Order: sequence, then C-alpha cells, then structure tokens
Amino acid sequence: MVIFSISSFSSNWDHITETVLVTYSMNTVALVLGTIFFTLLFGVSSAWVVASYKFPGYKIFKWLLVLPLSIPTYIAAYAYFDILDVFNPFLIWVRSAIGFEAMQLTNNLLVYLLTALVMSSVLYPYVYLLARASFESQGSHFINVARSLGHSGRAVFWKIVLPLSRPAIVAGITLVAMETLSDYGAVKHFGVQTFTYGIFRTWLGMGDLTSALRLAVILMIFTLGILFIEKRIRAQSRFSYKSATSSFEKIKVGGKKSIFPLVVCSIPVVFGFMIPFFRMISWAWFSKNYIAEISVFQLASNTLLVAIIVSVSTVLLSILLGFSSKYFKSKIIYTSNRLASLGYSTPGAVIAMGALILVGYLSDTFNILLSGTLFLLFFAYIVRFLAVAYQPIESGFEKNCEDLNNASKTLGSSPMRSLYKLNLPLIKNTIIAAGLLVFVDATKELPLTLILRPFNFETLATATFDLSNQAQIIESSIPSLFIIFMTLIPIIYLNSRIGEER
Amino acid sequence: MNSILSVSNLSKTYNNIYALNSLSFECNKGEIVSVVGSSGSGKSTLLKLIAGLEIPDNGKIVLKDKPINDESIFVKPEKRDCDIVFQDFSLFPNMTVDENIYFGKNAPNNKSMVGNLVSLANISDTLSRYPHQISGGQQQRVALVRALANNPSLLLMDEPLSHLDSALKEKVRSELLSILKKLDMTVLIVTHDAEDALTISDKTIVLNQGRLEQVDTPRNIYKYPKSEYVARLFGKTNILPLKLMPGSKHSFKQKSSDNKMVSVRPHQLIIESGTNSSLPKIKGQITNIFNNGHSYNVEAKCEDLVFMAEIKNGSDLKIGETVTFSIELD
Repeated sequence: MVIFSISSFSSNWDHITETVLVTYSMNTVALVLGTIFFTLLFGVSSAWVVASYKFPGYKIFKWLLVLPLSIPTYIAAYAYFDILDVFNPFLIWVRSAIGFEAMQLTNNLLVYLLTALVMSSVLYPYVYLLARASFESQGSHFINVARSLGHSGRAVFWKIVLPLSRPAIVAGITLVAMETLSDYGAVKHFGVQTFTYGIFRTWLGMGDLTSALRLAVILMIFTLGILFIEKRIRAQSRFSYKSATSSFEKIKVGGKKSIFPLVVCSIPVVFGFMIPFFRMISWAWFSKNYIAEISVFQLASNTLLVAIIVSVSTVLLSILLGFSSKYFKSKIIYTSNRLASLGYSTPGAVIAMGALILVGYLSDTFNILLSGTLFLLFFAYIVRFLAVAYQPIESGFEKNCEDLNNASKTLGSSPMRSLYKLNLPLIKNTIIAAGLLVFVDATKELPLTLILRPFNFETLATATFDLSNQAQIIESSIPSLFIIFMTLIPIIYLNSRIGEER
Repeated sequence: MNSILSVSNLSKTYNNIYALNSLSFECNKGEIVSVVGSSGSGKSTLLKLIAGLEIPDNGKIVLKDKPINDESIFVKPEKRDCDIVFQDFSLFPNMTVDENIYFGKNAPNNKSMVGNLVSLANISDTLSRYPHQISGGQQQRVALVRALANNPSLLLMDEPLSHLDSALKEKVRSELLSILKKLDMTVLIVTHDAEDALTISDKTIVLNQGRLEQVDTPRNIYKYPKSEYVARLFGKTNILPLKLMPGSKHSFKQKSSDNKMVSVRPHQLIIESGTNSSLPKIKGQITNIFNNGHSYNVEAKCEDLVFMAEIKNGSDLKIGETVTFSIELD
C-alpha cells in the first residue's frame, strides 16, 4: 500500500493536503481523545462500583453493562440522530446573545462532544470488562492493608487500585481508540471529518484511489502510533503481581447509600443500550410494513452466512497457527503469527484498500479476477478478525496444553493425534468463545463491507447504513434490530462465561 | 500490666453460622499473642474485626483504652491505631520498597524511626527495588517494616510465615521475634502452625469453631491441654485414660467417650531399664516401628488402645514384642 500510494500519481493530493488533511488529523485526534475520556469515565466508574459494592441489583448490572457491545457505533449514532436538535434553543440563544460565529463554534464543539459521547456510550464495555476483571483479580488485601495504614477508601482507589489496573485499562482504551479510528457510520452521520471519513470521500466521492490510499497509510501511522503509546505506557508499569487467591470482598450498601452505585451503573446502561434499543423497537414497529420491502430476512441470511463462514474459518486458522506455534515451538511461526494478528488494529477501510491493491496485482500479473467476489470479502474479514480468535486460542494452548503435549510426544502420538485427542477437547470452550467473538464483530462490521461487498450483496450493516444515508433512519431500525438481536445472545453467553471462569 | 487490646463478648456470624462466638481476651503492652486454630476456627475473622475490615454482630473492642467497636461505635480501619500484615505480605507492586515503607499515613513523620527499622530489618539495599525483585524473606521484612513505620500501638499479623519455605521460615521467625522484642511491640499473630505459636508468642489463644478453647502460655498449652482438640492441634499425642496415671493433675473430659483423659506426648513414654520406678506404666504389643533418624517412633497396642512412643535407643525393639512403657508426668 505504501509503495503503491507513493509511486502512483494523484491529481487531487495537493488539494487534499492544502485543504482537508489538517482538518482530518485534528478531528481524528479530537474524536479519539474525547471518546477515550468518556469511555474511561463510564467504563472505570461502573467497573469499580460493580466490583466493589453489593447494592440492590448489582448482579443484574454486571451483565446489563455489557449489552451496549451489541450496538455498533453507527446504530448508536442513528438512534441519537436528533440529539443535536435538543440544543437548538441554546444555539439560538448563543446567536442572539453573542453572535453568529460564537454559535457556529458552539455548534462545532457540540458535534464533537456528542459524537464522542454517543460512541463511548456503546464502546465503554471494552474498558468496563477489562477494568472489572483487573479490579477483581487484585483481591482485597492491598486495599485492606492500605486502609489499615491510615488511608481513606478514596485515597486507596487513586493510589493503589487504579495504578494496579492501569495496564488493563490502557488495553481497553486502545481497543476503543481502534474502534473510533475505524468508525465510518457514526462520523459520517454527525459530519465529523476523520481519516476514515476522508478515505471514503476521496475514493467513492472523488474516485481517487491513490489519494484514498495515502490517507489510509496516514491512518495506519496513527494506529501504529496508538499501539506504540500503549506499549510505552504498559512498559512503564514495571511491576508484576500474581492474581490474588482471595476473592475481592464487596462492601454491602443499602438505602440511601445505594443511590450512588445505582446511578453510576444506570447511566451507561440507559444511554448505551436502553435508549437506542427501545427507540429501534418503536421505530421498527412504526415501519413494520417495510420489512418485506427491504427483504430483511435475505439481509439477515447474508449477514449470517458471512459471520458464520468468517468465524469458522478464522477459528480453524487460529487453531492451526496456534497449535503449530506451541507444538513445534518455532520462532518463525511465532513471529509470523504475531504479524498476522496485527489485522485487528488495522481499520477496516485500510484493510479493504490493501485487499483491493492485492487483487489488482493478482489481476494484472496472473489474470485472476477476484475483485467484487465474496472470496475477497471473506479474505479481508479474516485478515481483520484473525487476532480476535487467535489470541484467546493461543493462550488457551499455552495455559492448558504445553506440558501435556510433551507427555503426548513421549507417548508416541503424532501432532495431529495430539491436536485432535488432547488439545481440542481441552480448549473447546475457548474455541467456542473465540468463534462467538468473531461472529459478533463480523455481524457489526461496516466500512470494510461497504468497500468490498460484491455487487448487489447487502448485509444488515450495509443496509442500515444505506437506509440512514437516504434519510430513512426510522426504517433503518429494522436491520439495526436484527444486528442487535444476532449479537446479543453471544454477548450474554460470553459475559456469563467470564463470570464462571472467575 | 497495662492492657493494649481488650476484646469482650465478640461475635460474628456468616449465613447464621458463628465464625466467632462470645470471644473475650486481652493483650498487654509488649506481649506477643498468638491465635491458633484449625481452618474455619474464626481466627482470620477475629483479625479482620479488630482491624475494622468487618463489622461484628455483638461485642466490644477496646484499643488503648479507646472503644473502637461496640453497639454504637465503629471506628473506620484507617482511623484505628493498628496495622495489619497479611500472609501474602500485600506489598504494593507498583511501588518500590521505599515507597511501600513510607506509604503509611504516619510514616513520613517518623523518618528517623523508619531509618532505624530499615537497618534493624537489614533491608537498606532493597529500598530502590520493586517487591517482585526481592526475596521472600526480604518481602516479609519489608511488610513488617511498612506496618511498624506507621507507628501503631498494635500489630496484627495474619499467618506471617506460612508463605515461606521451611528452610527460610526458621530464619525469618527468629529475625521477626528479635525485631518485635527490641521494639517492645504488642502483636496479635494468627497462625495455624502450632510451632510458630510455641516459638514466637508469650501467650496463646486457641479457637475452635469460633469459641475460645484455651488461653495460656504456649508451654502450658502444649503440656497441659484442656481438651483433645487443643492437645492434637499442638503436635503428635496419645490420649490416654486418666485411670492409667491417677497422679496426673491435668486431665480433661473426652467428648466422644465422656471419660477423663490425659494428653501424653510420644516422648513422655519411655522404656526403663529398672522395673522398680514409681512412674505409671502401660504394657503394649509393638505393631510398627519407624526410624526417623534421631529416634524410633514405636506404635503399640494395648487392648483397643493404640499409642505411639518416641524411643531414643530403640534399635533392639521388634514388631510383635510386648513392652512395658513408663509414663513421665511433669
């Protein structure tokens, strides 16, 4: 991609660098920072409250707080499509009291703020899940010792609990940053011109593949920059500790004292799930006659087909890669697997552009036509989501199978027999979980599908996007709801597994 | 003696099961008190109640003449004049040893005392390191110094030696004892290891299912247990009927048989060369002999009674032989 984008000529590039490149960069940075801020606020506070307090309904909130994962950012944006209207009276007041420019500035600020808020209302579960697991794994001893040494509960949270959970929280916000960089639907809807927005605009609007690719390369540099910062922050945490053997003791609160935890947990659930979900339901009810017209069942079966094929093939590939890396203990296999799993940190639009160059090369050199085929779409999905399946499966092999494989080798088993008889049954649950994670991501995926889908092939995500793009947001609730329902069940299952393992 | 800690009628239940049941005792200034019991006896609960990490159902705790717990008072853990050392040491992994030691609210005001503690505990060269970079023994001493640096009136220790391997344990135990005694510290140590209690403490409290079973010096508890539970908790013993040794003043009623019994440690059973001594005797047929290097553990049977003797010169003994053992009473 880098070579192609540098070596090819683009008539628009100078124009882009002069006019919108700085805007794209600043908007992208502002949106990522804003979203990180709000996800930290929602994710860490709810994780802390659920991990440390026993308040009425805390067990229900433990899984309610995960539900926004079923709502992709673009659906959240459509659910709040009219949120800016709420501020119209305020903007009118600013215009009359201060002036037109002040109103414009306020309006722009509000757009960033609300886009970041809407995106973080559905992205915070990444931080919530990792922070909660980290808090619970600390046990209560650190907190108890710190309190007996004279520090209040609040001081202990800031001085001990939070610094110890920093690596987990940083991992969570990195995922959120990646998702924000990758998003196209929400930023398009709110008109925030980020790099992903620019890639689509340049390629689909201006028909300039080279400039789009150059933007994709810059976006990739952004992504690598975030990964680098994450690595640096995590490296600064020079400590290590084993998960506590004692459980995390929750503080029982009732009466008036339970209001605070209830509010902290309710806000993200209400804004991240309840409002979008029930708005979708009510809109879908209004537009139920539309179900046949948009052939939603065809869309659902297309999405199911893509999600199932992608999750099965990603899992199979991960098993093959993970097993060969652990069984043969080869450094080359290990390193190539690490590189292959970089795909998840690459925005969907960038992967799509890369795939297009690859098929262009194959077409020119070997006369193989792959563009616009389902095969290409599946290939790009697998590149994008391999890490989602590979990481849990690899760690499953590492935790459960290393010594057993040595025993199996000395007992004369072939690698295939070890894999089939020993490893697969042992990590069966991990494989199912990995498959479901990919299934959820593939069902929600939008930008990559928008670019690579074959002609006349629509998924629920692309249909949702197209409908809302045509100002049919109410009707777009039908495919949206299908996406939510298709991803809800695996998410509830996965969340209950986290509880069981603990 | 002036009392530092006074616990009276302390009770705590979990799911209607007593973890502690009407417990009362006192700790005096400079005393090292051990709390011993099998798992589930309520000893860790006791520590948490004193530290303020749990709220009791009933009872009163007074620390340095100030009630910290009764029906109307609950002093928060951070306001109590006691510090706790957990069995996993709980050193904050994100802080260096130095930062850990000065973490306590009062520690920065006690710089010269902390300096003395650091050299007393011999951890001066570990100050800039992180907890995972120092040995288990050093971690133990850092945890101790961190707690002492806060200058508490009472130190609570939860199984402080159980994380150490046996070779290190003995060394750390003697270091610990020497530091605590030099500082004249009042300490309440919870342990399941009778040997720790015997070697470290001035006074031992034995708990059984949340109830106080016995309070005494470790020597008296070892020699004159007041129940079969206490006797067995403090090492190998034979529970023999009082009628075999009517001269014994330290019998107890066995719960299972309602008979009066005496705890006789294996080393109290000897084989005398002369037959005329006035010591009480028990005749038994040897069923097993184990050589443990420095002596012989001889298992013998007298009717239904199986007992174990530790005999120094037992090389001539044979399985099946009937021998008369004399019982040495103190």
